[in-house]
Amino acid sequence: MNTNNNLYTVIYTTLIVVVVAAVLAFVSQSLKGRQEANEKADTISQMMTAAQFGTKADFQKMGNAAVLEKYAAEIAEAYTVNAEGERVADLPLDKVCSPKELKRQNYNIKGGQNATGAAELPVFVFKDGTTVVPVYGAGLWGPVWGYIAFEKDSNVIKGAYFDHESETAGLGARIKDDPAFQAEFQGERAAFGESPVFAIVKGGSPKNADGTEVVDNRIDAITGATMTSQGLEQAINTWFSAYARFFQGAAPAEACCENACCDSTCVKAPCDSTCAKALCDSACAKPACDSTCAPRCGGKPCGHPCNPQIAAEE
Amino acid sequence: MEYLSLFVKSIFVDNMIFAYFLGMCSFLAVSKNVKTAAGLGLAVIFVLLVTLPINYLLNRYVLAPDALIEGVDLSFLSFIIFIAVIAAIVQIVEMVVEKFSPSLYSSLGIFLPLIAVNCAILGGSLFMQQKDFVNLGEATVYALGSGLGWFLAIVSLAAIREKMAYSNVPKALKGLGITFITVGLMGIAFMTFMGISL
Amino acid sequence: MNAKLKETLLNPIFKGNPITVLVLGICSSLAVTVTLKGALVMALSVIVVCGISSLILSLLRNTIPGRVRIIVQLVVVAMMVILVDQILKSFEATYAIDKQLSVYIGLIITNCIVMGRIEAFALGNKPWPSFLDGIANGAGYGLILLIVAFFRELLGSGTLFGVDILNWMGYVPNNLVILPPFALILLGCIVWVQRSIQKDLQE
Repeated sequence: MNTNNNLYTVIYTTLIVVVVAAVLAFVSQSLKGRQEANEKADTISQMMTAAQFGTKADFQKMGNAAVLEKYAAEIAEAYTVNAEGERVADLPLDKVCSPKELKRQNYNIKGGQNATGAAELPVFVFKDGTTVVPVYGAGLWGPVWGYIAFEKDSNVIKGAYFDHESETAGLGARIKDDPAFQAEFQGERAAFGESPVFAIVKGGSPKNADGTEVVDNRIDAITGATMTSQGLEQAINTWFSAYARFFQGAAPAEACCENACCDSTCVKAPCDSTCAKALCDSACAKPACDSTCAPRCGGKPCGHPCNPQIAAEE
Repeated sequence: MEYLSLFVKSIFVDNMIFAYFLGMCSFLAVSKNVKTAAGLGLAVIFVLLVTLPINYLLNRYVLAPDALIEGVDLSFLSFIIFIAVIAAIVQIVEMVVEKFSPSLYSSLGIFLPLIAVNCAILGGSLFMQQKDFVNLGEATVYALGSGLGWFLAIVSLAAIREKMAYSNVPKALKGLGITFITVGLMGIAFMTFMGISL
Repeated sequence: MNAKLKETLLNPIFKGNPITVLVLGICSSLAVTVTLKGALVMALSVIVVCGISSLILSLLRNTIPGRVRIIVQLVVVAMMVILVDQILKSFEATYAIDKQLSVYIGLIITNCIVMGRIEAFALGNKPWPSFLDGIANGAGYGLILLIVAFFRELLGSGTLFGVDILNWMGYVPNNLVILPPFALILLGCIVWVQRSIQKDLQE
């Protein structure tokens, strides 16, 4: 048979491509349900690992059904918030965010042509008050994502779990495989409203003479996986900046800071040491609340002094 | 300006060979002399320059979720489509080279078809998918830059190997052995570019 | 088993090793040799993929039009790899294994060993020898992978298969070993050793 005939070549190629596409489409469609169930159970176990309900290995041993059951027993509420920190919609409690959905929201946070609308960021709250939020970004070879759990109503990190698509085994893949790296997040704080919110750098935080850390929003990068560490850092910062208003609003600090207003970054400051009177006085003077800053000053009009105290002085 | 920084970055900082170590097989095997190395380098630039924009368009308008028909996600086909496009282009290049430059064809030997499995080419398309280029221009500039980076790497290795032919290398290390070690050292040297942000 | 088949099976392990002699599959051997576990997963999957795709393409060899053979080869290999990935992903028991493997999917498809052996052997030989050739080349590749990974994990992390070997006695892991250039230098040394034993390979 003459296999170099043009017609034969064209027919053969077409046939091969059609057969292969059909086989793949069939397999992918018919196995989709099973794959999604596996992915969902995996995502849930990642969130619960971050929230310190157990280790990833524990959940793996439990099997899908048991993981779903435990999740149903522990989850209190799930909803989405927008970049202003306002609650947008409730999520059904049996739904989780697949990496694909995170990717879509990641575009929305960044804006640009891939964005499909305003960002709607998922928040998962467990019955003990632990709040879990996802992060998503680009590593060295492919996407990296993960879940970070916060203590009830605070910016203290309770735990974290990360996953990736194709980071190098033994290097970048350690964000997923190395419990020691994930444990570094525990007890750190996310400095919402500051820049950067969180940092992953070589050496971690500088140390005081007594061995304590000078800053508590910095951890040590993975040796040999600089690009993955940087990608993860960027993912965390992008997402935490988007969540900043939500967490700052939720902080109990708000109540006692009622008559404080803008801090230097023009965001309502939480009620901690940075909210001292000195800062309020200097930063809340009229210039901070002029036209450029008005929208962020609690909706008060331009030039309106947002601090009653300062208003009185004027 | 953005194009320029992307261009420079893809040549030096994100060098396919020395930063990602992609496309090593043909890189090592076809770097004995500068002339054939340059030939293969040009072929890689050409194939990257053609396949990457095509794959960019396919990825954006056919494979992405909801791109072709609302609610249909064809991304599971992306690997196979990218590979098919690359293989088709390589096959065309092979036929053209065979017709117009038989000497280049015979010296490239098995490695011309192997450009199809040159990880640098598929790697380029996969990086493109991951980097979310905003337009065709960026994808093309990236393709040109990474192709040139590959070209630069293979030509410099070939030049070193030509000189090294006169060196007194232990017999068993001659040829492939010392080439591996040389590439390793070149890789360490190229790491100095890694910290640069453009 | 006759002598020729035996030769087909044993040659790629040492004398005609795909990495150190044929210079195929270098990229992936740099990426996956940081840990022994990764190297083992990769080695096993290349053995399987290389064997099966050699078999299929050898069966098809008389029907493939010469001008489009690369496309046909790649499409078949890619289909095989994606199928294995999709099936493993669908079962609860194998989902975790697949997550390990999916990292290497792209690397397996573009692994020049698979393509190189199809091009050089399977297209000109009967199915059974082609299958053996595929498996043997996968094994030869895997052997080098494990040797390199052994040194890189031991010196770079002080562990083997994740089990602490050196660290407890105060060994400081050498970070250079983890970086890809060191894998090249190690490969160079392996070639050196091999060619000292087998003098006819010397250039």
